[in-house]
Amino acid sequence: MFRQVLFSVLLASATAQFARGDSPKITAVLTSSDVVVGETVQLQIQIDNVGTSVKPPSEIDVPGLQIHYTGESTQMTMRNFAISSSINYSYTILPEKSGIYKIPPQSIRVGKDTLQTPVLTLRVADSPRAAAGTGSNRAPSANTQAGEDKIAFAELLVPKKTAYVGEIIPVVVRIGFNSRARVAEMAPPQLSGQGFTVQKLGEGERNLENIDGRSYVVFNYKTAISAARVGKFQIGPVEQKANILVPRRSSGARRKPFDPFTEDPFSDPFFTLPFGGLMEQHEIGVKSDPVSLEVKALPGGAPPTFSGAVGSFSMTAEANPKRVQIGDPITIKAAISGRGNFDRMNAPELSDERGWHKYPPSSNFKQDDDVGISGTKTFELVVSPNEKLTNVPPLAFSYFDPVKEKYVTLPSEAMPLIVEGNAPAAPAIAGTTPGASAPPAPGGQQKAQDILHQINERGKIISSFAPFYARKEFWLAQLLPLAFALGLMGWKVQNVRASNRAALRAAQLQHERDALLRKLRRDQLAPREYFSDASRLVQLKTALKQTNIEPATVDAETAARVFDLNAEQSERMRRLFATSDEFRYSGAGNGEGALSSHGQRETLELIESLP
Amino acid sequence: MKLSALFQILVLLLFALPGAKGASNDGPSSPRDESVRPADRSDDDLFAKANTEFAAGDFKAAIADYQAVVGSGDWSANLFYDLGNAYFRHGDFGRAILNYDRALRLDQHHPEADANLRIAHDQAHSLELAPSTLDRYLNFGTAGFFAIVAAIFFWLAIIFLILRPGRVLWAIVGMFLAAICGFAAYRLENGTHGQGLAIVTAENAEARVATVDSARSVLALPAGSEVVILQERGDWNYAALPNDQRGWVSASAVEKVQL
Repeated sequence: MFRQVLFSVLLASATAQFARGDSPKITAVLTSSDVVVGETVQLQIQIDNVGTSVKPPSEIDVPGLQIHYTGESTQMTMRNFAISSSINYSYTILPEKSGIYKIPPQSIRVGKDTLQTPVLTLRVADSPRAAAGTGSNRAPSANTQAGEDKIAFAELLVPKKTAYVGEIIPVVVRIGFNSRARVAEMAPPQLSGQGFTVQKLGEGERNLENIDGRSYVVFNYKTAISAARVGKFQIGPVEQKANILVPRRSSGARRKPFDPFTEDPFSDPFFTLPFGGLMEQHEIGVKSDPVSLEVKALPGGAPPTFSGAVGSFSMTAEANPKRVQIGDPITIKAAISGRGNFDRMNAPELSDERGWHKYPPSSNFKQDDDVGISGTKTFELVVSPNEKLTNVPPLAFSYFDPVKEKYVTLPSEAMPLIVEGNAPAAPAIAGTTPGASAPPAPGGQQKAQDILHQINERGKIISSFAPFYARKEFWLAQLLPLAFALGLMGWKVQNVRASNRAALRAAQLQHERDALLRKLRRDQLAPREYFSDASRLVQLKTALKQTNIEPATVDAETAARVFDLNAEQSERMRRLFATSDEFRYSGAGNGEGALSSHGQRETLELIESLP
Repeated sequence: MKLSALFQILVLLLFALPGAKGASNDGPSSPRDESVRPADRSDDDLFAKANTEFAAGDFKAAIADYQAVVGSGDWSANLFYDLGNAYFRHGDFGRAILNYDRALRLDQHHPEADANLRIAHDQAHSLELAPSTLDRYLNFGTAGFFAIVAAIFFWLAIIFLILRPGRVLWAIVGMFLAAICGFAAYRLENGTHGQGLAIVTAENAEARVATVDSARSVLALPAGSEVVILQERGDWNYAALPNDQRGWVSASAVEKVQL
C-alpha cells in the first residue's frame, strides 16, 4: 500500500517533466520466437516516455494462438533530475498448433497519438526436437557469457584467425544485456592487446536479439585492427563495466547480495505484480574471451611498385589536360577503390618515368563504411613532360591480396597526350641529385619511393624551437604598442585638461565681461574709468569670440577684424581705444566731470552691437 | 585619428621588431632565403663537408657532421632536412622522420621535408597520431600566427577603449577575439603536434602499462611512430599513443621534436 502511495506521489510530481519529455516510443518483443505447441511465450509491449493515459489492446486475435492479457508494470527512472517512465504490457501466448504465425501490428492510443507495434513472427514446432531444428542460425560463440541465468554478456567477433602484417581485420565487439534490464550507464568498450593497432570504435549500434530463447539488447561496436608485426597475438579480452537498472526485490523476502551471474533478477515476483516496485541500480562487469591471431609476414617477391597496401582494390586513372607544352604540368587523378589498409597506401607509379618530372602526390580518402576499411582513395599526381611524348604511361599499383595470398599489380590504361614545343625542358625538381642517386637504403626490400634531393644552402638560421609567443622578441614587440597606447592615453588626458582650462578661462572672461557691462550701464563713471572699462570690455568680447587671443593684446584693429566691423564702426572703435589710451597715459580726465550721456550711449551701443 | 590608420600603425609595430631580428619561423619564408645571418665560418664549412659526404654516399660521416652543426645551436630547416635525408639513406627511418619533423617545425612550408616525411612514414610503417577535431580546424594557422592576431586584437581593443571610452562593447568583442586567438595558439602548441610531440627512434619499442620492462605491453611502436610526452619520470616517459591509449615508453626510445 505504501509503495503504491509513494508511486502515486512520484507520478504526480513528475507529470511536468513528462510533459516536456521525448515523444512516446513503442516496442514489442516476444520472449522467444521459436516455441513448441503447448509451450507459452510472453509478448511484451513497452511504451517509453509515457506522459498521458494509455489504452492497451485488451484482445489480440490470431487464429491458432491463444493470447491473454496478463498485466502491466510501470518503470520510472530519474537521471539528472529528468524523470522518464515506461509501461510494459504483458500477454501470454499459447500456441495451439504448429506453423509460422504473424502477430499483426497493434494500435495503442497514447494521449492524442496512436502508436503501432511492429509485426512479430512466431514459429511454432510440433515437438521440442523440431523446435531445436528450426532454431536460430546464430552460431554459439565460444566466448559468450550469456548463459541461461546471465544478465549480460560480451563477445569479440574476429573473422580471421590468421592474417598478414598490415592487413586490416574488421572486429565487432558485442555487449548484450537482458532486455528486461535497463542500461543506465555504459562507456564504449576498449579493445586491448599488443602487436596491432586498433581504429577508434564507432558508435554502438543497438539491436534487440533473441539468443537461446532469451531476448537481449545488444550493442554492436565496429572497429578494425591492423597487425604491426609478425607473431602470435592475443586480441582482447574486452572488459566492460556498466550500470544497469533491475527491478527492486520484494521487501518481504530475505535478501542476499545481488550476483548478476548466478541469479536471475527476473525471477522476482515483481514481474507478476503490476506496480510491484521500483528499479535499483547495480554495477556489473562483463568480459569476453580473448581471441588469438597469428600474423604472418608478407611473402617475398613483391613487385617493385608494392608499397605496403594489403587488401583488394581496383584502380581508375585519368590525366588532364590532354594537350600541353613541354614542361607544362599534367594532373593524373588515380582513384583506388576497394577494401584494405588505405592508411598505408602510396600513390601508384608511372610504369615508365623516362621523359617525365614527378612532383609529390597528394591524396584524399573517402570511406564507405564506419571504420574506414573500404572506400576510395584518390591520388593527384602532377607530372610534366621533358620531351615530346604521345601518351602518359600507364600507372602501376601493387598490393598484396590476403585472400589469393599473392601480389597483384593493377595497370591503368595508357592515356593519350599531345605535347607541343621543341626545346627539351631542364629538370624542374631534381630528383636525381648525387645524393638521391646514391645506393638504396640497406634493408629496403621493395623498390622504395625515392626521397627528394639534398639542399646545399643552410637557409635562415634559427636558434630556438620555442613557440613564437614564448620568445622574448614577441614580448619586446608588445612594448611598442604599449608605448603607443600610453602615449595615446597621455595625449587624450592632455586634451581633456586643455579643454577644461579653456572652459575655465572662458567662464572667467564671461564673468568679467558681464560685470563690466553692468558697471558701464549703471554707474556714473569718470571718463577715464569709463573708457578704460569700455576698452577692456571690447577686449574681453574679442577674446571670447576668438579663443586663441589674449584679451590684453586686443586693439581696435584686432577687434574690427574679429567682429568684421564696417568702416564707421571701425572708426568709432579706434576712437574708443584712442580715448582710453589718452585718458590712461596723459592723466587727463581724472575726476573731471562726468561723461556726456550721448557719448556714453554711443559707446555702449557700439559695445553691445558686438556679437 | 582614423581607426584604419591606427590599425596599420599597430600591425607595423608588432611586426617590426621580430621581423628585424629574424626571429619568426612561422611566416612563409623561403627555405632558400639568402638573407642569412653571418654564421660561424666553421659551421658553414662543416655543413658543406657534410653535403659532399652525402653526395659521395658516405652517409655515416655526413650524419656526424650534420649533427656537429646541430650541436652548435645554429639551426635551420634545411639543416634538419638534410640530416633527415642522411638518416633515411642510412636506413634509420625513425631519426629521418624526427629530423623531417624538426625541419617542418622550423619552417612549416618546407615542401621537400613534407614530401620526404610522407615517404619515410610509408617506409617505416610507423604509427601517426590523429589530430583532434579542434586541431584539424585550427590547422590553417600556426601558433605564431594566432599569437600575433591575438596581440593585434588585444591592442586594437585597448586603443579603441582609449579613443572611444563610451563604446565598451567593441572593446569587449576585441578582447574576446584576442582570447580566442590566444587559446588557439596555446592549443596548437600543446596539442597533438605541439611541443610534447616525440618520435620513436628505437627499433622494437613498446609502450607499457608500468615503468618496468616486464610490464604488459600496451602497443608496439615501430620506429618513426609519433607519441605525445605527457610526463617525464626518470628513464620513462608517460605518453599518449596513436591508438588513443596511454602508456610508458622508455626515455631512450623516443626523442622530442622540439629541441
